[in-house]
Amino acid sequence: MDILGVMNIGSSGLRAQTIRLNTISSNLANIETTRTPEGGPYRKKSAVFTTESTGFEAHLEQGRPQTAQGVSVQYIRTDNGPGKMVYDPSHPDSDENGYVEKPNINLAEEMTDMIRARGSYEANVTAIKSAQRMAMKALEIGR
Amino acid sequence: MMHGLFDTTIQTLDKALELRSQKLQVISSNIANAETPGYAPMRMDFEKSLQEAVSGPESGQVRTHQNHMPAAGGKDLSDFQASFYRDYDRSGIGDRNKVSIEQEMVDLSENQIRYEAAIQMLNKKFSMLKLVIQERT
Repeated sequence: MDILGVMNIGSSGLRAQTIRLNTISSNLANIETTRTPEGGPYRKKSAVFTTESTGFEAHLEQGRPQTAQGVSVQYIRTDNGPGKMVYDPSHPDSDENGYVEKPNINLAEEMTDMIRARGSYEANVTAIKSAQRMAMKALEIGR
Repeated sequence: MMHGLFDTTIQTLDKALELRSQKLQVISSNIANAETPGYAPMRMDFEKSLQEAVSGPESGQVRTHQNHMPAAGGKDLSDFQASFYRDYDRSGIGDRNKVSIEQEMVDLSENQIRYEAAIQMLNKKFSMLKLVIQERT
């Protein structure tokens, strides 16, 4: 049924935005981290989205080109760009010139990304609510 | 002219409900993919073509003699299908994603209102039917 399809698509959006928020909060938490298991400072992570098919069953049932698709996180991209070099000779990770490489994270960028992730999350919730309301209305037919 | 118990109005409303819930799926897909790089939003069009299908020539049974019973039902809308197309971004800037979340939210609420309007009309139609089939003394 279409309404359940909407719920699935909406929840795929919620899932994807949650993963995105996770990477953002990870970036914010590690904005000063200079040591990682991989060595070097923490690197900015970001979620890459891709479209997701509605599943084999729905495809088979409809037998026509797909018109509605959910979203999923394809992979978490690590930004290997250079970090910020900060002069701090007293820092244990400073190099011979007294510079420390801080993570390549821009605070303003992360905050705007966070607001957009929240907006997208809310939009998906609205779509789910709309589906729910329509389904409840449909149950009232003929009452 | 006389129609069957379930006339063109009910058939049309029934079809409208089906198409509206399909459209909801298309809109929710666009919302979910609002930030997927390279995603071209899907558009679904049916208002005009459905109107044409409803006002077009009647199909199915035809009355061939004036003494025959009138043909039941009006149009056959069961094969009616909406047209779909993708709205590609041709600006060449950004991540080639053309979803406008504002536009989708407007479409979403419009779709919902029209769906509920169709249900109300169906309910009115059914209550009229109920009224006429009830025998009161």
